Amino acid sequence: MAQSMQAPSARSGNGLFSAALRNRGLAAIIVIFILALGLVNAISPAPMSYFDFHSLANGGAPLALAAVGQTIIVLSGGFDLSAGSTISLVNVIVASLPQDTLAGQVGVVLLGLLVGGLVGAFNGFFVAYFRLQSIVVTLSTMFLVHGVTLLIMPDPGGAVAPEITAFFSGSAITDVLPASVLVVAVALLAWLYLKGLRFGTALYAVGSDADAARSAGLSVPWTRFWAFTLGGLFYGAAGVFISAQTGSADPLVGDPILLQTFTAVVLGGTSLAGGRGGALGSVLGAYTLMVMVNILLSLDVSAYYSTVAEGIVLIVAAMAGALGSEAPLRRYLSSVGLRLKSRGAGFAASAATLKPAALRQMSAQDQGWNVSWLVRHADLVRIVLPAYLAFVIVVIATQVVYGGDTIFAWKYYDSLIVLGSFLAILALGQGTVILSGGLDLSIAWTIAFCGILAAGLINGSNLASVWVIPLVLVVGAAIGGLNGIGVAVLGLPPIVVTLAMNGILQGAALVFSDGTPAGFTSPGLRWLMTGKVLGITPVVVFVAIFVLAAIGLLGRTVFSRWVYALGNSPRASYLAGVNVRTTTIAVYVLSGVCSALVGILLTGFGGQASLGMGDTYLLPSIAVVIIGGTLITGGRGHYVGMLGGVLLLTALQTLLAGTTLPSASRDIIFGLVVLAAVLALRERSTG
Amino acid sequence: MNFWKSAALGLATAAVAALSVTSQAMAEKRHKIYLSMSYIGNDWQAEAANMLKAMAASKEYADKVDLKVQVAGPNAQKQIQQINAMVQAGAEAIIVYPISPTALNEAVKNACAKGVTIVAYDGVIEEPCAYNVHIDQAEWGKVTARWLADKLGGKGNIVMITGVSGTSVDTLRNKAAREVFAKYPDIKVVAEANGMWSQAVARTELAKIVATHSWDTLNGLWMQVGCYTANSMQLEAGVADDKVLPCAGEGSNGHRVQMLPKDTQAAGSNGTYKPLGAPSISASSQAYPGAYAFKIAMEVLAKKKVEKTTLLSPGAVTNDKVKLCQTGSWEEMKAGCNTFQPEIIPNPGWYASIFSPDLPQVGLNAALTGTPEE
Repeated sequence: MAQSMQAPSARSGNGLFSAALRNRGLAAIIVIFILALGLVNAISPAPMSYFDFHSLANGGAPLALAAVGQTIIVLSGGFDLSAGSTISLVNVIVASLPQDTLAGQVGVVLLGLLVGGLVGAFNGFFVAYFRLQSIVVTLSTMFLVHGVTLLIMPDPGGAVAPEITAFFSGSAITDVLPASVLVVAVALLAWLYLKGLRFGTALYAVGSDADAARSAGLSVPWTRFWAFTLGGLFYGAAGVFISAQTGSADPLVGDPILLQTFTAVVLGGTSLAGGRGGALGSVLGAYTLMVMVNILLSLDVSAYYSTVAEGIVLIVAAMAGALGSEAPLRRYLSSVGLRLKSRGAGFAASAATLKPAALRQMSAQDQGWNVSWLVRHADLVRIVLPAYLAFVIVVIATQVVYGGDTIFAWKYYDSLIVLGSFLAILALGQGTVILSGGLDLSIAWTIAFCGILAAGLINGSNLASVWVIPLVLVVGAAIGGLNGIGVAVLGLPPIVVTLAMNGILQGAALVFSDGTPAGFTSPGLRWLMTGKVLGITPVVVFVAIFVLAAIGLLGRTVFSRWVYALGNSPRASYLAGVNVRTTTIAVYVLSGVCSALVGILLTGFGGQASLGMGDTYLLPSIAVVIIGGTLITGGRGHYVGMLGGVLLLTALQTLLAGTTLPSASRDIIFGLVVLAAVLALRERSTG
Repeated sequence: MNFWKSAALGLATAAVAALSVTSQAMAEKRHKIYLSMSYIGNDWQAEAANMLKAMAASKEYADKVDLKVQVAGPNAQKQIQQINAMVQAGAEAIIVYPISPTALNEAVKNACAKGVTIVAYDGVIEEPCAYNVHIDQAEWGKVTARWLADKLGGKGNIVMITGVSGTSVDTLRNKAAREVFAKYPDIKVVAEANGMWSQAVARTELAKIVATHSWDTLNGLWMQVGCYTANSMQLEAGVADDKVLPCAGEGSNGHRVQMLPKDTQAAGSNGTYKPLGAPSISASSQAYPGAYAFKIAMEVLAKKKVEKTTLLSPGAVTNDKVKLCQTGSWEEMKAGCNTFQPEIIPNPGWYASIFSPDLPQVGLNAALTGTPEE
C-alpha cells in the first residue's frame, strides 16, 4: 500500500538494467512468461509446433484483449466488474446478426466494438460525471448487461460467418503467423499510441493522485470517462474475437473471464491502486495464465490442485514484482532489527503507552453536549439514509405486488432477517476490511471450507458442535491471519493475497472432502436457523445481538479508530502512532471469523455443506458495504449503513423471487435499483 | 531476481527429470484418453468422474487405457486451451463435460481433423464430428410437468425452480414444462426463481418465495433440483408428513428416500432425511453418462460403428417404483432398486441415478469411490 511513487511515463532510462529495476513488475512477468513457455516446451513430448503456437496465441487472445481494457481502467484508479458481461453481450450481438456479405461482416465487427465502447461510456458517464464509485456502477452494469444479453439470446446459439473466423483466428501467414498475434499486437500498438497522447499522461496522473492532477490543470472527469470508454472498446474487441474463435455465441461465455482479467493485470505488474503499470504486462499475464493450463496438463497435476497452483503463481509473481530495497518485507525485517536493537538499548518507541490515550482524548471532543444528535450525525445520516429509503420503497412495492397482509405479518420480516443474517455477518468482516482500505476476495471459499469442515466434524452431534464451532472459528481466524500477514508483512496487494487464498482454500476443500462433502449439521444448529419459538426463528435474536456488537465494535473502540485512520491514510496513521501492521492483520482476522461463522450458519440452514456454498456471497458482501455508504477506498462508512444495504438487497431479492418475471428482466431491475441507490448516495459537495 | 530465476529453473529441471521417468514407464501401448471436466464443485460432477474412472479401471479396460483427468473450471476459454493441449499431448480420445455447446466447436473441429475422438457427456457439443451422450432434456421437462399436472388433477398454484439461465439444458427443460402447463388453464405458476441446480440455492430461493406466498396457498412444486430441500422446509415449517406438497424433480438420494413409504426401515435416517411417502416423481440427468462416454470412446477406438448421439432415458421413478437397495451392486440395481440407505450416503444431495443396463462394470462403489464391480 505504501509503495513508492514512481514517475511512470519517464522512459528515458540509462541502460536496460535500470529500466528493468524501474519496471520491476513488467520485468518479473517477462521472466515468468519465458520460464513458463520454456517449461512447457521442455516437458511436452513433442517440440512446440506451429499448431501449438497457433492454439496458444488464439486461446489467450480474448483474455489478453480484455486485460488491456481492464488495465486502462485500473490505471485511471477505477475498477470494472462489467468486463465479463460486456464480452458476452458483444458475443451474442455479433452472432445473431446477418453477415452474408463482406459489408455485413465488417459491419458486425465494428458494431461489436461500438457496443463495447457504449457500455464503457455508460460506466464512465456515471463514474466521471456523477462521481459514483466505479465498483458499484460496474456491478449494476454487470447485472443490466447480463439481463439484456439474456433477452437477446436466452441460450447458446447463433452463427458467425466463417470469413470472420478465418480472419481473426486463422493464420495471417500460413504456418508462420497466427492472425491472433497480429490482433493482440494491434491492440498493444493502440495502447502505446494512447499512452503517448495527452490522454496517456492524464491517465497516469489521475490514477496516481486525482487532486494533484486537477491542480495541474488536467480534467479528471474527462480522463475517467475516456478510460472507461476505451476499456469498454477493448472488451468489445475481446467479444468480437471470442465470436470469431468459437463461431457462435453463448450468453454466459464472458462471466468467468472477469476475475481472470484482474489476475492478468496483477501478474502484469500493474498496481490496483492506479497510476502504475501498463498493458504489455497484462497481455503477458494473460498468456501466462493460459500456458498454466498446458503446464498443469503436462505435469499431470491432480485436478484438485489446479486452483492452488494458480494461487501460488499469483503470489510468486506479485512478490517478484515487489522485490527491491523499498520492499515492505525488507523494510519489515529491518524494522524488527531496529526495534530489537532499541529495546536492548532501552529506548524503544513502543514502550510509550500514550498512543491509545491520545486517540481516546481526541474522540471525547466530538461528543459535544449541546449540539443536537442530528447535527452531530449529519454526515452519518446522509450516507446511511439512501439504503434505508430504498429499502422502505422496496417493502412498499412488495405490498403493492402481493397485497393481503404480506408486509404486516411478522413472517415476512422473520424471513428477511434469516436470509439477511449471512450478509449482515459478512458485512462486518468485509466492511471492516474495506474501511481499512483493503478488500477480501477469499470470502467464497473461506465460507465453503469452514462449512465443509464444520459439517464433517459435527456429523449430526450436538455434543460435537460444542468443540467444533470454536475450532472452525479459530480456523477462520487463522485463514484471515494469513491474509493479513500477506498484506501487512509481505506488503502484497490485498486483492492478490485474498484471491490466491481463495484458490488455495478451494483446493483444500476439495482435498478434505474428496469432491463430495460428507456429514451434516447438529440438531441444535438446525433449530437455530430453521426452528420457531413463538413464530420467531431463534437466529433472529442472535442477529440482533450481533448487530449491536458490530455497531459497538465499529463505533466505540480504539480498534475502530485505528481502522478508520488506516483507511484514510496509512502513512499519516503510522505517524500518528497507529500500529498499522497489527490493525491490518486484525481486520482480516475479523473477516475470516465472520466468513467461518457464515459457513457454520449456512450448514445449519441447509442441513449440509456443499462445495459451491460460498460462491453467491462474494459480490453481495461487497455490494451491501458500498450501498450502505462506505467508500471502497476506505476511511468512510458505518455498519448501520451496511445493514441498510443488507436489508435492501434481501428485500429486493425476496420481491423478485416471488414473481414470475423472466430472469433477464430480474437482472435488469436488480441492476437499476442498485444504480439508483448509489445515485442517491452521490456526493453533493462541489469539487 | 536471481534467486527466483534459479529457483524456477531448478523446478523446471526437476519436473523434466520426473516426467521422463514416468513416460518411460508407460512405454507399452495403451490408448491415451483424457477427461476434461468443467467444474468439480458438486456431487453430480464428482460421481460422474468417479464412474468414468471406475470404467477405466475395470477388468475389461484396465490394461488398455491410460486415463488422465483435468479440470477447466467454469471458463470456456480454458477448456478450449485444455482441449488443444490434450491434442498436443497425443490424446487419442478426449472425453469432455462441455462448458458450452457452441464455444468449443472450433477447438473440437481442430481435434477431429487431427484424428482425435471427442465424446461429450451430459452437455452437448454441436460440432458434428463430436459424439454426444446425454438425456433428452425436453423429455425430462415434459415427463415431470405431466406427472405434476396429473397429480394435481389439472388445477392449482405451483412454483417453478429453474436451473442456470442462459444454458441450453435450462431452456429446454423450462420450455417443455411450460408447454405442458399451458394445456391446463387452471394450473397457475405463481412464482419462479433460478435454483442454479444447487440444493443450497434452491433453499434460499424457496425461503424468499414463501416469505410472500405461504405453504398453504401452494399446491405443487416443479424443481430442476431441490425436492429434498422443499420437503424438508415444509416439515420444518410444521407441515404434517402426509401433507407435503407433490414435487416433480431430479434424482437426489434424499429426495428418493423421502419418497419411500413412511414405514420403510432406512438405516441412518436423520432429521428430514427419512422415508416420508412424499408424493413425487424423480427423473434424472443420470450420473453415468461420463462412464457411457468412456465406453463409446473405446468402441470408436476399436473401430466399431457408433451413432453420433446416444440419448439416455431420464428413468423416471415415481412412488410406486421407488425401492431401497441393500448393497447397491449392479446386479441388485438391475433387479429394480434405485435408492440407497442414508447410512451409506450421508449426503442427501448425492445423485441416486447411477444404474445403466449397458454398464455392468459400474455400481454404487464406482460412483462413491471410483472402484469397478468385481
